Order: sequence, then C-alpha cells, then structure tokens
Amino acid sequence: MSLLARLFRRGDLHSLAAPYALDALEPAERVRFERHLKNCERCGAEVRALSEDAVRLAWSTAAPPPAAMRDRVLAAVRATPQQAGPVAREHTPQLPPHVWGTQPPPGRSRAPRERRPFFVPFATATAAAALVVASLFAVQANRTQDKLDAERAQAREIAHVLAAPDARATTRRDPRGRSIGAVASASQGQAVVTLSGYGALPSGRVHQLWLMRPDAQPRSLGLFGGGDTPLVATDLGKSATSLAVTIEPDGGSPQPTSQPIVQLALKSVGFGE
Amino acid sequence: MEADELLVLVAGGDQKAFEELYGLVSGPVFGLVRRVVRDPAQSEEVAQEVLLELWRSAGRFDPGRGSALSWILTLAHRRAVDRVRSARAAVDREQREARRAHHPAFDQVTEEVEAGLEREWVRRCLDRLTTLQRQSVTLAYYDGYTYREVAERLSLPLGTVKTRMRDGLTQLRKCLGGVA
Repeated sequence: MSLLARLFRRGDLHSLAAPYALDALEPAERVRFERHLKNCERCGAEVRALSEDAVRLAWSTAAPPPAAMRDRVLAAVRATPQQAGPVAREHTPQLPPHVWGTQPPPGRSRAPRERRPFFVPFATATAAAALVVASLFAVQANRTQDKLDAERAQAREIAHVLAAPDARATTRRDPRGRSIGAVASASQGQAVVTLSGYGALPSGRVHQLWLMRPDAQPRSLGLFGGGDTPLVATDLGKSATSLAVTIEPDGGSPQPTSQPIVQLALKSVGFGE
Repeated sequence: MEADELLVLVAGGDQKAFEELYGLVSGPVFGLVRRVVRDPAQSEEVAQEVLLELWRSAGRFDPGRGSALSWILTLAHRRAVDRVRSARAAVDREQREARRAHHPAFDQVTEEVEAGLEREWVRRCLDRLTTLQRQSVTLAYYDGYTYREVAERLSLPLGTVKTRMRDGLTQLRKCLGGVA
C-alpha cells in the first residue's frame, strides 16, 4: 500500500471515532477500528471523550426496572462465578462452576443468607444455576461468527427460561461428583439442563435426555452437545415427573435403549401436578 | 457510596456491594436498554444479562479510563444494540418500514422516561443541535442503527453522517458540560 493510501486509510479510520462511540459500526468495522485504537494514542483519548458524550444521552432514559428483576439478578449473582481481572481476560481458565456448588469461591466469605421469602425460587440454585448462568456469558469467548450467533441464540433461550417468574433450579450429584442440573419453569414448560463431570463419550455415542411422565413412554428432549453445553428442553407439560439421561448411538434413539445413567426429579421445581 | 467505589468492591466478590450497585444503576441500565430494544420482555432479558455481566466482569473496569457509570452504560448500550440488530435482521423489510414509521427517532424519548432534570437538559441540548446532527446521533444511539443505515435513511453521504455524529456529540458536550 502506498504511503498516501495508507494515510488515507488512517484518516478514514479516524473518522470512525464518533460512529464507534455511538455503537454505530458494523461488527467487522468495529473490530478493525478497535485494532487501530490499540496503536493510536490520539484516537484513544478522542474515543474516550466521545464515548463520555454518548453516555450523556443515556441519562435521559432511566426507568425503574420490574421489581422481580432484582431478585432474579441477585439470585443469579449468588450462583455465578466472577471473571479474573483485565490482564487475564479471555485466557484465564474459568473455575468450573460445579467446583463451588457446595463451597463459595474465594473472595466471597460473606455467606449469602435467605433473608427474604421471595428468594425461594433460587434457594436451591447451586451448581445447576451456576452452570446455566455461566453459559449465558460463555458467548464472548468464542471466535467464529456462526458459533457466536448460535450461542447467542441459545443464551437468549436460556435467559428466557431464567426470566420466567417461576424459574427454579434443582440439581443432583452422585458420589463420584458427577451432576445433572436444571433450571425449569413449569409455567413455560421449559428447562435448561446441564450435565457435568460425565466426561466425553466414545465416538458414535451420545447423551440423550428424556422426559418421564406417568403412564407414558419416555419422550426425547434432545441430545447433549458435549462438554458442559446446556440443553434447552421445551414442551415439558405439567405432568412431567423427571428427566433421565441415557447413552445412545449417534443421532439418538426414538426410545431409550439402555438404563438411565442419571435421573432428576422435577417435583421440587413445580412439575408433577 | 458512588458507583466507582462499589464496582471495585464488586470486583472483589462483595455481594452486598453489588446489591447497592444494583440500586444505583439498574434504573439507568434498564431504561437505556428499553429505549433501544423497545420490546419489554426482551429489554428485561438484556438488562438482566448486562447486570449479571457487571458482576461477572467487574474486574475489567479500569477507573483510570472513565467513570463506572459510563463504563456500565456503555456496556448496556452495546448489548442493547446487538440485540436490536439481530432482531431487526430477522424482520423483513416491510415490517421494518412500518415500525420505523411508528417510531420517529426522537419524539418518543420523552414519553417513555421519568420526568427529571437530566431528561430536560438532554432534551434541551438535543434541541439545540441542527436537525441533521440530532437525527444522526439519535438514530444511532436510541434506535441502534449503524452509521451506514443512518446515511441511507437520511439520504446523506457516509462522510457527512460521520461528521454530523461527531459535531452533534461535541455540541452536546458543550451544552451538557455543566451537568454531571
């Protein structure tokens, strides 16, 4: 690139400071501009000033949030691990949430106490909610746009279940430390389900989730994607009694072909009427 | 306590400080997100995600680079814009036009918010901008359009929109300078 072209390109990038401060760049431009920002002190100061100006526009929009949001956020906060500081950023391996399902993370010496009865929905929210809530934010660490979109869509579904007024969490842990957790809403008939500690299956095998109901065959709720990726189960129906996980051939089976490796009762989360 | 001090405590895992911070910032965060996203249920989801993200990544806040409130609202705005753009991408063009017709860029600002000194000031200062400055800034900030979309909607060259955005923000700074 000629010097002139480079200068022109630079000038062009500089002019993006205001759109950037207003969040008015397209994703690719945003990335390009942020890369430029790292090596341009003058733009850094300018962008900071313009961003402060943009924030002034937010002052006029304050509005009281729904009262129930507070309880949900505070409950989720109790179940969500924090990220390391700026230096570590994306590269710090996160403490697996289930590690502190029974034990608070460092820096949280103050034990959360249930002072208000309306915290009950998340009273049992330990490992389950932690896994689920963490997945809401796992989004940012991923690189490709497709994956990002897919995970965002899933994070949205999860947030939807979490936002239900009757969302409750339940979890079951076996003596070997493996666990299944769910945050479920009986009114929406939805649940976000996570498996933890079951490890990778040999190729050609998958974990399949089943809905168990009285006087009915198990119904498939889908296949787990591997790792701690949660599964969003829908159309659960009020009569649901439990969730079960079996190991099935790749692609899943119409009906379970083996004994469940774990089962999770749904009564405590408002099902089974 | 101020948001800045609270955020530092929150970064250290202090849940009590987070409760206090929630009291301070949930209104601004929710209001801003709702202004941009509009749909009440989606706004609640996004605001909730933002507030949880505050807890999660409070350690990234660098007090040397601006106030906590700015950092928080910048984060909220970014998430709100991301949501509204992905939602918009899913809506077909005609519906989009219909919605735009229903939601003029600025008029709605005052209807949705609580009365307050800040609102009056911002409104007064926005009124002092030229029409193009005001439209460029509000279409981007309150409606989540990219500057390319703003240029298209206002039938202006890209360069002009970028300049109007910059001038608009700078004018706002001068006008609002006394209010902090």
